Amino acid sequence: MLVVGGGSTGAGVVRDAAMRGFSAILLERGDLATGTTGRFHGLLHSGGRYAVKDPVAAVECVAENAILRRTAADCIEDTGGLFVTTKWDDPAFGDEFERGCRETGVPIEEIPVDEALRLEPRLDPTISRAFTVPDASLDPWKLVSGCARSAREHGARILPYHRVLELERRNGRVVGARVDNELTGEEVWIRAEVVVNAAGAWAGQIAELAGCKVTVLPGKGIMIAMNHRLVNTVVNRCKPPADGDIIVPIRTVSVIGTTDTRVADPDELEVTQQEIDEMLDEGEKLVPGFREARALRVWAGARPLFSAEDVSDTREVSRSHALLDHAERDGVEGLITITGGKTTTFRLMAEAAVDVVCARLGVDRPCRTHEEPLRGSEEGRFYWLGSRVQAREPVPRSEEIICECELITRDRLKAAMVTRPTTNLDDIRRMLRLGMGPCQGGFCIYRATGILHAYERLDSRAANASLLDFLQERWKGVHPILHGDQLRQASLDDWIFQGLLAVQHLPE
Amino acid sequence: MTYDVVVIGAGLAGLTAALRLAEEGLRVLVVAKGVGGTHLAPATIDVLGYADGRVESPARALPEFVAAHPEHPYRRVPVGLIRASLEWFAERLGGLGYRGGLEENVLLPTAVGVAKPTALVPRTMAAGDLRAGGRFVFVGLRGFKDFYPGYLAENVARSEVPGGASVSARALELGPPLGGEVDVSSAGLARRFEQAEFRDLVVRELEQRLAPGEIVGFPAVLGFRHAQEVWQELETRLRHPVFEVPTLPPSVGGIRVFESLTAALRRNGARVVVGSSVSGSEHRGKTLEGVVTQTAARPRMYRARSFVLASGGFASGGLQMDSYGRVRETAFDLPLAGLPAPDGQRFEPGYFDEQPIAGVGLAVDDALRPVDAAGAPAFENLHAAGATLAGATPWREASGNGISLATGYAAASAILERTS
Repeated sequence: MLVVGGGSTGAGVVRDAAMRGFSAILLERGDLATGTTGRFHGLLHSGGRYAVKDPVAAVECVAENAILRRTAADCIEDTGGLFVTTKWDDPAFGDEFERGCRETGVPIEEIPVDEALRLEPRLDPTISRAFTVPDASLDPWKLVSGCARSAREHGARILPYHRVLELERRNGRVVGARVDNELTGEEVWIRAEVVVNAAGAWAGQIAELAGCKVTVLPGKGIMIAMNHRLVNTVVNRCKPPADGDIIVPIRTVSVIGTTDTRVADPDELEVTQQEIDEMLDEGEKLVPGFREARALRVWAGARPLFSAEDVSDTREVSRSHALLDHAERDGVEGLITITGGKTTTFRLMAEAAVDVVCARLGVDRPCRTHEEPLRGSEEGRFYWLGSRVQAREPVPRSEEIICECELITRDRLKAAMVTRPTTNLDDIRRMLRLGMGPCQGGFCIYRATGILHAYERLDSRAANASLLDFLQERWKGVHPILHGDQLRQASLDDWIFQGLLAVQHLPE
Repeated sequence: MTYDVVVIGAGLAGLTAALRLAEEGLRVLVVAKGVGGTHLAPATIDVLGYADGRVESPARALPEFVAAHPEHPYRRVPVGLIRASLEWFAERLGGLGYRGGLEENVLLPTAVGVAKPTALVPRTMAAGDLRAGGRFVFVGLRGFKDFYPGYLAENVARSEVPGGASVSARALELGPPLGGEVDVSSAGLARRFEQAEFRDLVVRELEQRLAPGEIVGFPAVLGFRHAQEVWQELETRLRHPVFEVPTLPPSVGGIRVFESLTAALRRNGARVVVGSSVSGSEHRGKTLEGVVTQTAARPRMYRARSFVLASGGFASGGLQMDSYGRVRETAFDLPLAGLPAPDGQRFEPGYFDEQPIAGVGLAVDDALRPVDAAGAPAFENLHAAGATLAGATPWREASGNGISLATGYAAASAILERTS
């Protein structure tokens, strides 16, 4: 089986397939979880958000939330969630919300406003109602790399930086793919009995390679990471879902999201000043002072929204995602598309896709991903924000800290460079959260470059390129939101990189 | 009590203005929120490193540069005054042995190995000049994460030097005992280098590993108060030229400058109060009479006949931008120049592009007094200096310390002239 797309869906599919005994390969054009999965707000849905508008999706979220808490605990911080009615929200919606949750099985409890304010003292004190739900935050990189690792342990091959150029067809059947290794420029042919297109917002582009029309409308959502945990619980506005109505505390930051704008190309996601201002204004309604609080970074992700006109002939598992068997739909054998959906239900989507593959191949191999935990999650212990500090506390002076913001040691950095033989500092950033803290790499990126050069035997040309690429990539997420203390921090970073080091004059 | 001058800011610009005025017998007070850019910037004085390409001689390049940049702070400081400021600085900080000047930039390696032009160089860094070529060896210290000699050496060996002088470079690493520590800062190493036993271990480990004629580059951690003796001892005992390469903050070389300047200030009877930020002021008409500082205990008024604002730019908190893109000068809310249009772009998408926000700051008259759009001074007795001034892009130009020194010096001159 060939799986195309290294987001949560593809990683889930390849893991599920490998666990069911398929020989499977995952192809991803960039690094893992750099498309939509690595660009979401990090919310593990309780289902509350969909309880009124989309009960089917809500029911799925309830089940998957419980499963992931068992099987991927290490990727989850059990923050809990709140739905609060602010003075800008229709007070009548609370009852409708409560009813929707009861009907879809979302565990919900109304708590007194005083108690909500004790839990989250930064919340606007004029809120009129508050409900608790089992929302949580989910680390997308950890989740995807955990699935990929598990898949590898079950015999699968994971190939990041491999772009599909062509799907080969013979007698109306997809039999393999021509693939470009983006790092070496080498082209390879891979044969497969079945190809699962899990390319999310890019699924239309992949299907087209087999002559199939799949209309996926990318829906742009912007997110802003705020320095500090302005809240420690996921906080939702209690109203029909709209822009900027969720704040998710994740790791050392809190993320506000999101928007929903149709765009033509999932690779062209521009963030406008107006969108940023709207997001900050919405944040201000939940947490007074939000506008002028320190904002770290802004980014946009592309939701894969499966176009409704094609839904009539699909095996629609639910409204939340789409599973297309192109043999039935287009007369093209050997190709399955799984798209739509959300990270919370990625496992369910993967299960559904592999079930179809089993049916097509006439084998009966039951899914086990709802039972078997990922490495590190066996004991069901949730991730805890203090874990890196706790690990260091008994031996505070035993190791060099390369990234002070995220407590990354030299040994850990070296180990990451070995585990994932990459020379791309941005890949390392996602693996370790290197440079994701308040200083946005101001200090650690020079160090990481030096270590990469010393340890990986990278020549200075490649090290220079890696450093400059990182700075440009960082600037992309930083500059649209720069103000206040973060502008001050960025000025210090400029001082270091452009003044002290003069990296802009590095020899080529 | 009324001071003759209150200087706001303890970076290079503020300390320069303060010392010059104190030397002339004026009663001077420096108030600052914290230590300034000295602790971040290297100890070299870059006057103009890049204009259209690398600048070989600031003296020759400045007239054309100023003509092309009419809003630049150097526009307000004649070349003669810039030269005088460099000479004054080198003389006052005689202990640091500054050399060089406005005529020729030297090329010093940065910590990534870029050959960066700079005008005035402390003695401990001078042997790093790449212009004459040479065989360089860069020395790393195990447990010090802010210096990567291998990476640095490889870039240095590939750097372009005018006249095509031959530069070769290699790296080696020493592992002197760090007393059980595995993670030592530049300041921690500087303290160790002040100890004879530590130097002894470094010399003994290093001397066998040097080839004749090699020039030895250390990270800039060779001591604080006794840096000259440390450097001298290393040169003498190793029998090789030795120099320091500035690296990540805190800047040990910059701290030496700060300590030297504040010591000179104290000798000249000035007072330095760090830990107070200016939160308000009192004025009568166009005359500033006092500034209010916020300390832990209570607000406090400092009165003076003249004032120097040297609170820095965005990096130091002298300028601030809110989430609506509105920029404020934080001490007096002075009018600003160089602002991008209200709905215009604040930043360019390329990290190394010229950023519209970079030139924002105070426009000043020839006496370095902040002026409004019509050119009228905000106060007749308030002068400004350093990174708070409009019109410069110090990192692109390699001009930051030069602007601070020259305008700090010039602001003091203007006060002396006005009050004499």
